Amino acid sequence: MSALHPFSLLAIAAALPAFAWILPAPAGGLATTLVAMGLTLTPGASPGSTGAGLAPGWRPRSTGVWLTPGWRPGLVTFRTALVIAAPFWLFLRLLHDGPTTVAMGLRITTMVASCVWLVAVLSPDRLVEAMVARGWSLAVAYLFAATLSAVPVLKARARRIVEAQRCRGLSPRGSVANRLRALRALALPLVLSALHEVDERTLALETRGLGMGVRRTPLAAPLDRTAERVARWTLLLLCLTALIRRLA
Amino acid sequence: MRILGLDGVTFWYPATANPALENVSLDVGPGEIVALVGRGGAGASTLLLIAAGLAPRVTGGRLAGSVSRGARAGIVLPTPWTQVSGMAFTVWDEVAFGAANLGWPAHEITRHVDRALERLEIAALASRDPATLSGGELQRVIIAGILAMDPDLVVLDEPTAELDAEGTRAVWRLVRSLAAEGKAVLLATSDVDALPDVADRIAWLEQGSVRALGEPSLLAEDAMCDAGLGTTVAGLWHAAGLGAPYPLTVVDAVQRWR
Amino acid sequence: MSVRLLALIPVAVAISLALSAAVDAVALPLFLDTTGTILATALAGPAVGVAVGVLTSAVNTLRNPTFSPFVVVQIIVALYAGLAARAGLFRSLRTAVPAGLGLGVIASLTSTPISYFVFGCTTTGGIALTTALGKALGLPPLGACFFGSFVSDFGDKAVTFALVAAVLHALPRRTAARFPLALRAMGAT
Repeated sequence: MSALHPFSLLAIAAALPAFAWILPAPAGGLATTLVAMGLTLTPGASPGSTGAGLAPGWRPRSTGVWLTPGWRPGLVTFRTALVIAAPFWLFLRLLHDGPTTVAMGLRITTMVASCVWLVAVLSPDRLVEAMVARGWSLAVAYLFAATLSAVPVLKARARRIVEAQRCRGLSPRGSVANRLRALRALALPLVLSALHEVDERTLALETRGLGMGVRRTPLAAPLDRTAERVARWTLLLLCLTALIRRLA
Repeated sequence: MRILGLDGVTFWYPATANPALENVSLDVGPGEIVALVGRGGAGASTLLLIAAGLAPRVTGGRLAGSVSRGARAGIVLPTPWTQVSGMAFTVWDEVAFGAANLGWPAHEITRHVDRALERLEIAALASRDPATLSGGELQRVIIAGILAMDPDLVVLDEPTAELDAEGTRAVWRLVRSLAAEGKAVLLATSDVDALPDVADRIAWLEQGSVRALGEPSLLAEDAMCDAGLGTTVAGLWHAAGLGAPYPLTVVDAVQRWR
Repeated sequence: MSVRLLALIPVAVAISLALSAAVDAVALPLFLDTTGTILATALAGPAVGVAVGVLTSAVNTLRNPTFSPFVVVQIIVALYAGLAARAGLFRSLRTAVPAGLGLGVIASLTSTPISYFVFGCTTTGGIALTTALGKALGLPPLGACFFGSFVSDFGDKAVTFALVAAVLHALPRRTAARFPLALRAMGAT
């Protein structure tokens, strides 16, 4: 699955939830849920199998759900989707009747499973190269990749700031006012240091030609087979057709 | 022929009344290595940004005087972790980032990147994720990334700050080889002990002005030793009250004693 | 788009997502997940804020797929913050906090239909439980859902606005000067 063109993976992950909402419930939702959950069981949809998957901080393992004894590594993505979707079923049952719970639950499960599968199989570097090869604005490719890179770095820094401030005697407990003051002491250093770095990043990016307006050379463009392009357009047309029929 | 020429340059950062640089004139020719030395806040980094064409264009501010630059410049800033592109997931891609942005053909990029990795002795790191590198390794990757763009003017701000002794020696060897190829090198460093063997000229910056400009023997003068900017050997000689001229390096001192 | 803004946007997104560590440390019922959006808007205008909001939503979706429909809320937050910045409402806590409370109401009104029609008001356990409480109090379903969103958004947006105001005032003058809109947001121009 991870050998598919990144745009194909995105198209599948977007089409499934769209169909789940467009097609009549509960059959439509059931069908899309089965497909989405089936995708989570495909080869390449488990961590470590092909090395694919978004930046390390975003692999299914990092959602906080740990591999429990007895679960094969190939089921991690499947199990992650189940674990994320399960609470929705519980709360839906608390608030709604049976048919509504089933209809909404299946749609939400499709959305969750599609996304979890996409995170597991989509390589950010392949997606970036696909964007560049297709001639998309370098700014879009940069924003996507740089954001994925920046988030784990700043999260780690935030944790260090919390530890450092605690070592300096900050007490983040007590009254609401005290906690808000502590929040300020934790948040300001993080935000200000990050903004200061924007200056240096700007200089570094400028010197490395980011703002030159020249079309960037793709370094390793993923192969985009004609069959895949046709399949993507077909998916889009099917979605639109289903939507028009549903609205008519 | 000069690659870089600053003539009477005065520069103010945005929203500041005092200039960061005042009436600075400096030339750097092809194959020449000019080193800036001075205390913190002397204006060396600002001068490097101007040399690289980033001030005032990117930093904002106001510049008086003239700057002439006859070639493409590449600058390496002191903090490697803020210079990571964010768009590369391997060291090879990180080094290729700048060259790819220039729109070069893929085979040219590959040639320049592989060469840069070899010169910085980091070819073994090519498939590593830049986020997993140490500060010293990352600094070398960043330098490689600039070299892969084949600039004619190489600007380095504290290039050895994150490096261990071996890495430092490797960078100074690299700087000399860049000059040997005909590139102009302008650098700022606090590692003054390396400069007698590396730099062709030294510019001493103080409070935004060039206080002195000359050969590396400048690092053995009384004024520089008094300011704490002379080499270690010169400083010791000066502090011991031994006669001038002070030796610059250990080798010079040994020769003096023999 | 300038390279400075390209450098700012990922950092702003990361700020929104990294502040969860600070929130966890103080154990307050806050999210602060629009901090980057509001800050970027105050520094560089609503277009940049919208870009930050959309990216924040996209990245959040990788962690929790149910965030994706709420991109509309991030866009509304950016537009509101743009108006607040233009009016100089970040000049002090006295103006920032009420502005944040206003955003809390608007954010709740925007997120409620999404939460109700897409998720049946089950986006988080807290919202689901407060919705159940609202239902128990006799509120209609949509009203109960709004009650759940309002409880979480009201205070969160006020604190976010206060935090952004504090950041703007703590910015070194030289850094603030690189973002001309920041000075207007602080009421300095």
